[in-house]
Amino acid sequence: MADILEIVGLTKRFGGLVAVSNVSFVVREREILSVIGPNGAGKSTLFKLIASFLRPTEGEVRFKGERISGLAPHITARKGVVRTFQETTIFKNMTVRDNVVTAHHLRSRASLAGFYFGSATARNDLEAFGNSADEILAFLGLAPMRDEIASTLPHGHLRALGIAIGLATDPSVILLDEPFAGMNHDETKRAVEIVRKLRERGVTVLLVEHDMAAVMNISDRIVVLNFGQRIAEGTPADIQRNPKVIEAYLGAEDESIGL
Amino acid sequence: MAALFLLALLVGVPLLINATGRTDLYYTLTSVALLSIISAGVWITFYIGRINIGQGAYALIGGYVSAILVTTYGVSFWLTLPLAGLFCASVSVLIGLPILRLRGVYFAMVSLTLTEVARLLALALPITNGARGIVSIPLPGSISLFGIALVPDFATLANPRLAFYIVAILLMALCFVGLRRLAHSRIGQLCQSLQQNEELASSIGVNITYLRVVAYAISSFLGGVGGAMFASISQSIYPSSFTVADSVNFMLNCFLGGLAYVLGPMLGTFVLYFGWDVLFQTGEFQLLIFSTVLIVLILVLPNGLMSLTLPGKRSA
Amino acid sequence: MEQVIANGLYLGAQYALIALGLTLIFALMNVLNFAHGQMYVLGGFVTYSIYGQLKLPFALALVCSGVTLAIIGALMEKFLFRTVIRRSKREESTMLLAAATAFFLDAVILLLFGEKQRGVPKIVSGVFVSDWVILPYDRIVVGVIAILMIAAFVLYMQYSKPGRAMRALAQDRIAAQLMGVKVDRYSMIGFALGAMLAGVVGGLLVSITGVNSGIGGPISIKAFLMVMIGGAGVVGGAIAGGFILGMMESVGLTVLREYGDVTYLVIFALLMVFLSIRPNGLMGKPWG
Ligand SMILES: Nc1ncnc2c1ncn2[C@@H]1O[C@H](COP(=O)(O)OP(=O)(O)O)[C@@H](O)[C@H]1O
Ligand SMILES: [Mg+2]
Repeated sequence: MADILEIVGLTKRFGGLVAVSNVSFVVREREILSVIGPNGAGKSTLFKLIASFLRPTEGEVRFKGERISGLAPHITARKGVVRTFQETTIFKNMTVRDNVVTAHHLRSRASLAGFYFGSATARNDLEAFGNSADEILAFLGLAPMRDEIASTLPHGHLRALGIAIGLATDPSVILLDEPFAGMNHDETKRAVEIVRKLRERGVTVLLVEHDMAAVMNISDRIVVLNFGQRIAEGTPADIQRNPKVIEAYLGAEDESIGL
Repeated sequence: MAALFLLALLVGVPLLINATGRTDLYYTLTSVALLSIISAGVWITFYIGRINIGQGAYALIGGYVSAILVTTYGVSFWLTLPLAGLFCASVSVLIGLPILRLRGVYFAMVSLTLTEVARLLALALPITNGARGIVSIPLPGSISLFGIALVPDFATLANPRLAFYIVAILLMALCFVGLRRLAHSRIGQLCQSLQQNEELASSIGVNITYLRVVAYAISSFLGGVGGAMFASISQSIYPSSFTVADSVNFMLNCFLGGLAYVLGPMLGTFVLYFGWDVLFQTGEFQLLIFSTVLIVLILVLPNGLMSLTLPGKRSA
Repeated sequence: MEQVIANGLYLGAQYALIALGLTLIFALMNVLNFAHGQMYVLGGFVTYSIYGQLKLPFALALVCSGVTLAIIGALMEKFLFRTVIRRSKREESTMLLAAATAFFLDAVILLLFGEKQRGVPKIVSGVFVSDWVILPYDRIVVGVIAILMIAAFVLYMQYSKPGRAMRALAQDRIAAQLMGVKVDRYSMIGFALGAMLAGVVGGLLVSITGVNSGIGGPISIKAFLMVMIGGAGVVGGAIAGGFILGMMESVGLTVLREYGDVTYLVIFALLMVFLSIRPNGLMGKPWG
C-alpha cells in the first residue's frame, strides 16, 4: 500500500505550551490508523493541523506528496482530507437529510449563480446530491430519521450523522475525532462496523478514540502521543506490550487501556 | 397569491386612497416599502449568522452617491440607483473582509459603529457638503427606449407621490421575489450552514469567507438602493438622514417579523412603522407606549410575528 | 503634553467605569446592554434632581443615582432578560430586548426630565495651576473618585464572596451552577452592579459636563468602543479600553484640532485596523 499522508516533523506551540512536538509518521492508503494518548496529549490539535484548521509552527503535512498544511480548511477538504469533530458537530436546525445534502458541496459542478437561476447543471447536481445523500443515510442506518431535525436525534445517531456529513464530501482520508465517545456498548459495536465499512468504500481512516477495546479491535496500526510527542507506533499487539505506553497511561486511565 | 398581493398594492391601494382622499398614505406606504428593502438586507446578514446593526451606513452612502451623481454630474437618477447599490456593495466588500471574521456581539458592535463612521464622514468630507447636506435634488427624469417613453419625467407628473409609490412597490416586489429564491435555493442552504456552524461548513469545503462577503455585499446593495430612493423622494440627504437609531430599527424590523421567514422583514417594517404612526396621536407618550409594546411583544413572541401565522413551519 | 495626559487620565477614568458596567453585564449574561448610555443619563438626572434641585449634598446624590440604577438593573434582569433568555433559543433576542429597553428608558427620561441640557453648581471651585498642567479642582475630585471606584470594583470582584461567584459565573455558567453558585441571584446582582456603575458615572459627570436626554446613544457607542478595544467580558480589558479611548480622545482633540471634528473618525479607522489584527481586542476571549 502506498503512503497517502506524510506527517513530517509537525510542531504546534500555543504561546509557551507545545501541544504537538516534532511528530512524524505516515498513513498508508486504505488503512485504519488510530492516534491514542491521555487527555491533553495533543490528539485533537494534531487532527486540526492535518485538516489545515491550524497552521503548524514547524513541519508540514503532505497528501499524496503535495504539501497541504497552511492551506485554508475548505481547500484541504476539496483535496480530499476531511475532519469530523470531537464535539457532536452537525447543522442542528436542518433535517438529517438536509445536513447530508448540504455536505455535498464539494461535488457541485454548478456555480452559485447557476444554483440561483436553476441551470441544468445545478438541477443535475441537486438530484445527484439527493440520491447520494439517501444512499449514505441508508448505508449508515439513518434512513428512518431522515426528515427529523438533526438536534433531536439521540447521541449515537448524532455521531453517525457526523460521519455521514464527512462521507458526503467523498473524502480520500477521513479524520474521526472520538467518534465513539458517549456511546453505549451496542452503539459502539455498530459504529465500529461503520468505520470498517468506510474502509471498504476505499476511504483511509484516521481515528482518535479513548475506547481501547474498540481501537485494538479495528486499527491496523496505532500511533501513541504523550505530551505532544509520538512515543510509540505499531500494530495493536505491539502497542499493548510497549512499556512506554503502559507508563504513559498509568495512573491516568490504566483500566481504560484494557490490559 | 404573490401576484394578487402585488395587484392589490398597485391598483387596489391607489383606488382606496383616491376614494378616501388620504394621499398622505402614499408617502407612508412608500416609506414602508423602501424601509423593508433596506431591512431585507439586514435579514440576509442574519441569515449567515451575523447581527448587522450597520445598515444605516449603507443607506446613507447610497443616498449620497445617488445625490452627488445626480446633482454634480447630471447622471440620470435611474442609472444612479444601481450605481449606488454597487458602490455600497464594493465598500462592503472592503469593510466586510476584516470585520466578517468577527462573530456575535463583536460583529454587532463594530457594525453599529459603522453607522456613526458614515455620519462623521458625511460631515467631514468636502463632497458631501457637511451638515448642510445636499438639497434640491431634481426629481427622477424620464426613461425612453427607441423614442418611446417608458417612464415619464417625474417633474411633469401631477402626482409624483403615486409614481414613487409604484416604483417603491415594484422594487420591493423584485427584492422579495429575489430573496425568496435565494433562501430556497442551494445558496440559502449554504447560508444556513454558515449560520449554524461555520467550522463545520468550512470542513465540508464551503469557502466561508467568500460566501460571507457575497451575502454582506448583497445586503449592502439593498441598503444602498433603498437609501438612494429615499434621497430622491425627499429630494435631499443629510448626515443625519440615517442614524444609529435607524440601523437599530432595521434590525428590529427583521426580529419582529421573524428571522426564520423571508417575508419577516416586510411584515416587521409594516407593523413597526404603522404602529409608530398610529401612536402619533398619543403625543408625548408615543415612545413610551411604543417601547412598552415592543418589550411585551419580545416577551410573548420571541420568534417574531410570522411565527403566529406559520406555527412551526419554517419558510426559510 | 502633560496637560493632554492629565485630561486623558481624567476622561479615561470615567470611561473605564462605564465600560466596566457594560462588560460585567456582558460577561455574566451574554447580553450587550444597549441601554447602558440611557442608564448613565438617568443617573445624571437623579443627581441633578437631588443635588441641583433639592440642594442636598453631592455625595448623597451620587448614592441615590447608584441605588436607583441598581434597582432598575435588578428589575430589568429579573423580569425581562431572565425571561427572554429562558424562552428564546437565539442569542440575538436579548439584543433586541436591550434595544427596546433603551427606547423605553429614553422615553421615561424624556417624560420626566424633558429635552433641555441640565447642569448643576460646581462641587468645588477653583483651578489647580502648576508649571505643567491646569486642571479645575472639580475635575480632579471627580477623577479621583472614579479611580477609587475602579479600585473598589476590582477588589470587590477579586475578594468578596459575590465577586468570586460572579467571576465563576462569567467563566462557565454551567460549571458554576454545578458548583452551587446561585446563578439567578448573581446574574441579578451583576446586572444591578453594572447598571449602578453607569448611574454613578452619570451622576459624577453631571457636575462637570451636565446632562441631556440625547446623549444616551453616543455614550453607549463609546462604551462599545472601549469594550471592543479591550476585549468583551474582561475586567482588565474594560479598564484598558477606557483609558486608551480617553487618552486617544484627549490627544486627538489637541493634535487634530485644525482638521475639524475628525478625532472619532480617526479612532474608528484605527479600531478597524486593530480589530482585523486582533479580532477579540486586547484581552478578550475568543468568541463563538
Ligand atoms: N487553541 C488553543 N490555544 C491554547 N492551547 C490549546 C489550544 N488547543 C489546545 N490547546 C492545548 O493543547 C494541549 C493539547 O490539546 P488537545 O489537542 O485538545 O488534546 P487531546 O485532544 O489529546 O485531549 C492541551 O494542553 C490544550 O489545553
Ligand atoms: Mg481531543
